[in-house]
Amino acid sequence: MDEKVYGARCKDCGKEMYPAHARCPECGSENLEPLEITGEGKVLTYTDLYALPLDYEQRYLRLAIVELDSGLRATGQLLDEKPKIGKRVKTTVGVVRKSGDRKTHGLQFVPL
Amino acid sequence: MRPVAVIGAGMTKFGRSEWPLLKLMNVASLAALNDANLGDVKVDGVVVANMGAARLNKQTAIASALVDRLNLFPAMAESVENGPASGASAFKVGYQAIASGMADVVLVTGVEMMRAVNNLEVTDFVASLSHPEAEYIYGVTLPGLAGMFARLYMERYGVTREHLAMVAIKNHANAMKNPYAHIHQTVTMEGILTAPEAVVNNPPIAEPLHMFDCCPVSDGAAAVVLATQEIAEKLGRQVVRVAGIGQATDTHAVHERPDPTELTAVRLAAQRAFSMASLTPQDIDVAELHDAFTILEIAESEEVGFFKKGEGHKALAEGVTSLGGKLPINPSGGLKAKGHPVGATGVAQLVELTWQLRGEAGERQVENAKNAFACNFGGFGNNVVATVLTREG
Ligand SMILES: [Zn+2]
Repeated sequence: MDEKVYGARCKDCGKEMYPAHARCPECGSENLEPLEITGEGKVLTYTDLYALPLDYEQRYLRLAIVELDSGLRATGQLLDEKPKIGKRVKTTVGVVRKSGDRKTHGLQFVPL
Repeated sequence: MRPVAVIGAGMTKFGRSEWPLLKLMNVASLAALNDANLGDVKVDGVVVANMGAARLNKQTAIASALVDRLNLFPAMAESVENGPASGASAFKVGYQAIASGMADVVLVTGVEMMRAVNNLEVTDFVASLSHPEAEYIYGVTLPGLAGMFARLYMERYGVTREHLAMVAIKNHANAMKNPYAHIHQTVTMEGILTAPEAVVNNPPIAEPLHMFDCCPVSDGAAAVVLATQEIAEKLGRQVVRVAGIGQATDTHAVHERPDPTELTAVRLAAQRAFSMASLTPQDIDVAELHDAFTILEIAESEEVGFFKKGEGHKALAEGVTSLGGKLPINPSGGLKAKGHPVGATGVAQLVELTWQLRGEAGERQVENAKNAFACNFGGFGNNVVATVLTREG
């Protein structure tokens, strides 16, 4: 099982993107290669979601948008007891959703 | 292009419907058709706005079903699905059919029956419009996106939970004057924010948003009849002209936007609608904005050009957007209190504005309203339709 999260990099102009698109948002090229989304960054915003969606059994789900040092942003789950806008975090990959027997891996952010 | 007018408007009471989907549609449609009082004039097009009948009600091709129910053969008919902006999108399709000369009279009916399934299912249904790989898999829902948007917006612009509560208090008060509203309940600052029991009365949904920051889950339908301005004049109706329509899109994943507190598609859709109408935001007398979450009414009131960025909450606090203020916003009660049957919402906004422009809005009437504006917000701002209506004469 591939437990990495990928965006894309444009092989023509170097633009990085997450999520991947079929054409480069910068130059329109279709010549794209996978780009692993990983690294450190800071919390741009977060929420504690109490109205839980399907597949979750817990009191609340802490979601965040993180701004990575590469300049890319990503949405994911924030595993931090003391969240704060601007706080430094790093990416990890874990099980973010369990639907029956199916486990989905995705980005989880942990404090540095 | 031929000028187009709204010549009929009607809706069902929003809330929990005891009728099946088709009846909900036909009740709103007949209200609009009877209001239009067409006589011998035939409806030659039907556009239905709906987001989830296939999933929520296990019904498809509902525009054809509506034609059959109303005996409007052989009118052309189709459904339009554009997320929570389906209503204004369907209105746009009806407008285009008439403006282009393909049709003379079009019925536009928006409908949603969301309470047919449980809360988890309905939340998942709406969440399915988020990005499948970059958002949905994490448990992201619409309230989740709104919570993250609200926290950043509040941090940046000094908006507080008290400001958010003011939106709810205002829109609930307006809905008390709207017999079609889902929620008839007056709310107070004490009851939802400052009193000790507010913690129980107003639990968190997606921090910093609480229950009274979020619209209810509603069933309902709304309909308008559109016609050439020529037919409208021949029928002797007060002409409410479709002066401008603008639409714009934005990135699917909210985090990809250069500034996630900016609703670029709202700004561009509004600019396009104002430009087509040859009007400015300052010409507007009454507006219906898409307040699925209280923060969105504030943010949209800035993006469409009514107030400068970061000033919307100040105008709200000064009463500018209340009934009796300089620019009443959501006199119907908005999505917050009138309710939000997703496919019906965009049409219901235009039903309210038609009534406002004709002076038929009863206790919530905005005096002498001439120009009206609606913002129908799809996805989390990735597809937005803005409409300007003008009273002739
Ligand atoms: Zn490129």
